[in-house]
Amino acid sequence: MKKEIDIMRLLKRLFDLDNLIADKEADKKIGFKIDEEVGLLSLKRERASLLKEIPKEFADTYERVKERYTLALAEVKNGFCFGCFQQLPTEMLVRSNEIVTCPNCGRILFWREE
Amino acid sequence: MNLASLLSRDRINLELKSTKKEEVLRDLVYMIKSKTDAELIYSTLLKREELGSTGIGKGIAIPHCRSLAVSKLEIAVGRTLKPINFNAIDKKPVSLFFLIIAPPQDPGNQYLLTLGKIVQICRELSKGNLINKPQTPDEFISLINEIEKKLIKKR
Repeated sequence: MKKEIDIMRLLKRLFDLDNLIADKEADKKIGFKIDEEVGLLSLKRERASLLKEIPKEFADTYERVKERYTLALAEVKNGFCFGCFQQLPTEMLVRSNEIVTCPNCGRILFWREE
Repeated sequence: MNLASLLSRDRINLELKSTKKEEVLRDLVYMIKSKTDAELIYSTLLKREELGSTGIGKGIAIPHCRSLAVSKLEIAVGRTLKPINFNAIDKKPVSLFFLIIAPPQDPGNQYLLTLGKIVQICRELSKGNLINKPQTPDEFISLINEIEKKLIKKR
């Protein structure tokens, strides 16, 4: 079984990859050349294989939250979820390696590395 | 928004010894982050290059992406001692690299505005044949400042 710290690492890679795909139109407007066929296909393949590596319950949560809010991960800062800006319950403020979601919006929470 | 103000001396290396695309990207990323954060950015940048080279031609590339690993816009500049193959759109080797990493949430669209501005400045750099002119990070920042001022006057 994968450790949660490794699952989180995969979720972060998935998140960055999704933002990359989402930014392609803006990149084109600025003048960058985007390979809509081979390049995009390769990224989509990478996305599918990353999803397979993530245990189903976390992959499902990620996809569900992404569907709703686009950005499925949110940072915990000063005791707040930086996705919905709601204060988190005290018991959640101890930084842990477990994967937790915001009780208010459901985004997957992460703590910035020191 | 002033680009020169986003540049810092310790994030400009005009003597990169790397000779391969991957090495240059790694060098640039490690100027702004380390450990797992750097590796996350590096892997996202490699993916971005798969989507299409960020080599905009005439010896300049602007590798960029958003990443969870940063909490604000971060820029690093590198120039390799010898131009390297970066699969640029004009197929010519690249020696000047602007790395831009932005956080996923970007109020005010600072990321795209900065990216657009860097593209504009890079065009001026290549037009004036200025890529190899600055010899120190301070000279580089002054040159960018000058170009920005000229661009503002042109408007």
